[in-house]
Amino acid sequence: MSVKKKQTQTKEKKRLFDRNTRRLIRSMKPIRGWLTLSAMLCAVLIGCAVAAPQILGDLIDRLYADTKSGSDQIVAHLLPGLGVLLALYALNAVVTYGNSYLLNTVVTRFYTAGLRVRLSEKLGKLPVSYMDKTPFGDVIDRMMDDVGSMSSIVYNLIEVLMTGFLQMLVIAVFLFFEDWHLALVVVVLSPLSVFLSGKLASLSEKYWHKHFNLGGELFALAEESFTNYPVTKAFNRENAMKEKYAKLNRTHQQNGIAANFLSAIVQPAIVFVDALAYIVIALVGGWLITKHGVPIGTVVTVILFARQMSTPLERIAFGLGESQQVKAASKRVFDLLDLPEEPDAAGEAPKPVKGHVEFDKVCFSYDPEKPLIRNLTMDVQPGQKIAIVGPTGAGKTTIVNLLMRFYDIQSGEIRIDGRNTAEMSRSEARKLFAMVLQETWLFKGTVAENVAYGCPDATREQIVEACESAYCDRFIRALPDGYDTVISEDSTNISSGQKQLLTIARALLADRSLLILDEATSNVDTRTELLLQKAMDRLMGGRTSFVIAHRLSTIVNADTILVIRDGQIVEQGKHRDLLARRGFYYELFTSQYRI
Amino acid sequence: MPHKGKIALATLLMAVSAVCNLLLPTMMSDILDRGFYGAAEGNTFPYIVKTTLWMLAISTVSFGSVVGGYWIVYHVLADYTCDLRQMIFDKVHTMTLEEVGRLGTSNLVTRITHDVGNLNWVVSMICGNLIIIPLMFLGGVLLCMRKDVMLSLVILLAVPVVIAAVLLMSKRMTGLWEVSDKYCDRQNDLVRERLRGIRVIRAFDRETKSHERISDATRVMSDNIIRANIHMSIVDPLACFVLNLAALLVVFLGGVRIERGSGLTAGDIFAVIQYIGIILSSILSVSFAIIMLPHVKVAARRICEVTDSKATDDEQTSNGRTFSGGIELRNLSFAYPGARENALRDLNLTILPGQKVSVIGGTGSGKSTLVSLLMGFRKPTGGQILFDGVDSAECSPQDIRANISCSLQKAMIFSGTIADNLRMGKPDATDEELWDALELAQLADFVREQKAGLDFKLTQAGTNISGGQKQRLAIARAALRDAPIYIFDDSFSALDFLTEAKVRGSINRRTQGRTQIVVTQRVVSAMHSDLIVVLSDGAVVGLGRHEDLLRDCGIYREIFHSQTGGGAE
Repeated sequence: MSVKKKQTQTKEKKRLFDRNTRRLIRSMKPIRGWLTLSAMLCAVLIGCAVAAPQILGDLIDRLYADTKSGSDQIVAHLLPGLGVLLALYALNAVVTYGNSYLLNTVVTRFYTAGLRVRLSEKLGKLPVSYMDKTPFGDVIDRMMDDVGSMSSIVYNLIEVLMTGFLQMLVIAVFLFFEDWHLALVVVVLSPLSVFLSGKLASLSEKYWHKHFNLGGELFALAEESFTNYPVTKAFNRENAMKEKYAKLNRTHQQNGIAANFLSAIVQPAIVFVDALAYIVIALVGGWLITKHGVPIGTVVTVILFARQMSTPLERIAFGLGESQQVKAASKRVFDLLDLPEEPDAAGEAPKPVKGHVEFDKVCFSYDPEKPLIRNLTMDVQPGQKIAIVGPTGAGKTTIVNLLMRFYDIQSGEIRIDGRNTAEMSRSEARKLFAMVLQETWLFKGTVAENVAYGCPDATREQIVEACESAYCDRFIRALPDGYDTVISEDSTNISSGQKQLLTIARALLADRSLLILDEATSNVDTRTELLLQKAMDRLMGGRTSFVIAHRLSTIVNADTILVIRDGQIVEQGKHRDLLARRGFYYELFTSQYRI
Repeated sequence: MPHKGKIALATLLMAVSAVCNLLLPTMMSDILDRGFYGAAEGNTFPYIVKTTLWMLAISTVSFGSVVGGYWIVYHVLADYTCDLRQMIFDKVHTMTLEEVGRLGTSNLVTRITHDVGNLNWVVSMICGNLIIIPLMFLGGVLLCMRKDVMLSLVILLAVPVVIAAVLLMSKRMTGLWEVSDKYCDRQNDLVRERLRGIRVIRAFDRETKSHERISDATRVMSDNIIRANIHMSIVDPLACFVLNLAALLVVFLGGVRIERGSGLTAGDIFAVIQYIGIILSSILSVSFAIIMLPHVKVAARRICEVTDSKATDDEQTSNGRTFSGGIELRNLSFAYPGARENALRDLNLTILPGQKVSVIGGTGSGKSTLVSLLMGFRKPTGGQILFDGVDSAECSPQDIRANISCSLQKAMIFSGTIADNLRMGKPDATDEELWDALELAQLADFVREQKAGLDFKLTQAGTNISGGQKQRLAIARAALRDAPIYIFDDSFSALDFLTEAKVRGSINRRTQGRTQIVVTQRVVSAMHSDLIVVLSDGAVVGLGRHEDLLRDCGIYREIFHSQTGGGAE
């Protein structure tokens, strides 16, 4: 039974593989017209490549004949051939350039950029849970590097594989027309170099693979040790780190030698085999000339062709090797494109909204095996200020995720003014809320653009007004370009507390009916917090608000405090009542004063 | 240059192979001239056989020497790269924290990986081929001269033209690559920004805008890549055309010479054409590397920036001194390099051995600066720190750090097992000791839940555990070590109050009789200490026990009321 299972598995794998290749080819559909044109240009190039040695061979032949006959018309005899060759070489150069111009432009603009745009579009439709699970580096890697390698296959397919095959075919046919003995020698010997280079390449591939993996580890180790340098220093462990790095560094390099060496000798190996082919052709050619009176020009042409034969073969070998890599990359890209998108409803949010929020037997968990929120029921009246407290991991932030519909509940209902949020479109549901999170997020843009993020049409006056209310107008004016100063997540010209103030201004300006504050004052020192508190009180005035906070000063004034433990509301009420009850809240609250 | 001998040998081998490759076309032309065309005058087949055997021998020598050459080249190169990496890594590990901060972690990582990698790649391209080009060039010209001086002039003219074209293009490429790299980075940043801000973006319904920003950046980037690639793709056809033209010229001039009866043969012309082919292919194979050369110059400069850095920890010899735990700050001041104002101003403080001290203050008050001065990460710009009455400037930083066990503000986790991470603090700790420390940090239950237990694998930066768990791991790591002084720098901020209270309780039991310094923003973490230091704008504004400060220190009172709502009074 297990054998059978395994069989079907491998079968599936095989089919999947083919599907990906087919899809890779299908993905080039939008540029097929250009690709056909490029293929035609390649055919011209092949024509040049085949014709040129032919003519050159004839010229040399002519020279011999004229030398022997002592003709005085040597140069005159050469001129027509030289003229044709000149034209061919010029055509070759122009078409080569034109073709790479065409392929570059088309592939980069319509294929590479096109795929990236599609991926970016896809990102907008994926659920938040995907971003939470996936390292950013992985997504970026797919979007940049993997798409990059996919584009290389388009070049390879046209320039390398197709040209290679065609060229080989044409040359082979020509050779047989010239002389079948010699043609046979070339056709038998040329693949030998390809076979050899293929063998070497696959041998080196193993080492390359290991080399790359070790390189990744080495990269991670360097990054980690530099990032964690203070700890290493604090514990006097510099030498241990150096040794650890040295060990990995050595192994990495040892593998590199084998990989590099094997790759490097591919070319000399081909040259060597070519030389062997040369020698055999010379021998056979000599035998044919001396014993059978075959014309010398024929042998010269064959020699020139034989040289050309190895080029397309090398190309094909290279192209096939490369396409293996590309298959892996395109699978990663297609996997991302195929991810299930977030389903959405079409309903509208109630307008105007009063802010009556109900949780009705809500169940939710991130991991089906670990239920988190079970049958959560609560009723929040319009304009109420709800504080959510509880130990880490109790599910406080999860409630934000559910309200904002970043995650979908598994059963039960969340209603706003009596309307089920699951029946509204996500963007409608989200438009009801303004949100300030612990992790301040600002995009690279001016201060004004960032504040107006939730309300792009806001005038400068409105922006300034919001900033004044959030107590950030003063420090903004102190910035080099005031409201037009460019800031970003990483910018050091404003402090983390100031960033948080900006996010509050952003929420103020957005002017939504409901409000979520998730640890919104965590990065702020006490003095700024006093300001912030005022700003937030202004923000919360008349709005239904959900506040999650460590700091108790934010909590004590709430209309209702919900104490969450293991996804359940274990207590709720006002601060004083909860303290009086001497339950879990009391324990939480007083624990901070214990030694 | 420790590999001089090997490099010389490799060059020699490469040269032998190059010369052999040059001899082959000559012999081929001999076969043509004497073997094939001579066939009319008599049986030349034995001559052909003899010459081809020579060719076989020469090919074999050529192949053998080039294989040997590469073998040496890659060993030398691997040693060189490996040493270079190690040199950078070791150098960084002697630098002061300040210098590492100035250079930037991600910059250093780029230097040790990409820059070294680039250098390695281009050197390997050049090692193989760059030696061959001038050899081929000179050899080709010399052999040509033997055949005919006039024809050699053609090569002498054509090759520099092609090389000049490649170099010129390489110069222009530098700017183009720089621009396209910049836009590539920009796109990376935008995607990262969007992924990071997913919640805010969706909350404000701005996905479309984010997508547009990325699409626009993609278009600009692709236009730049196209421009760079198109410039680069001129090189190939141009080089081919010039050298093909040279071949035509050779045939033409050869014809003229033969007509005038200079003794030149058709075989000679054939040989010269073959030389041109060989030169062409070697130029093309390095043209790519030459175009990348400017890239390498930048890489080399960036690497030197690291290796030439002078800002290293001074090598005071460690003498294994053990402190008793008494610390005195005398007029201690510190200013960050380039800062106008002092981050710490005139700190005076005496900590007795075994005291529990808390340092409290808002962001930017100078708390963490004080910790890095105590740890010897930075040097005071004024005043002194005295350990047992000895100026810290006279102790080796190693000795200071051996006496202080510190849990830093950022809980830095290494990829590896939990045990590995804990043993950073005490490499020879037994498993019992590890469990003890985990128990203290309230993390033992979590570790027990894992199948692998102490061998539970943590990912890089500990992304597979929560912020609170990381912090507790860092606490356990510091508590594991036996030291006269313990420092906990903002180590409880991600813990809820219940857990924090438990951890603080067991730390207090553990560090009984040892000096303990807790740096915090939370007043509740500080209020039970023997001594509370209130910092504001880098100066001590309050010093004493909780009750005294509540009475005498305005800032402390303000912090206390704002954080607790006065609930604890």
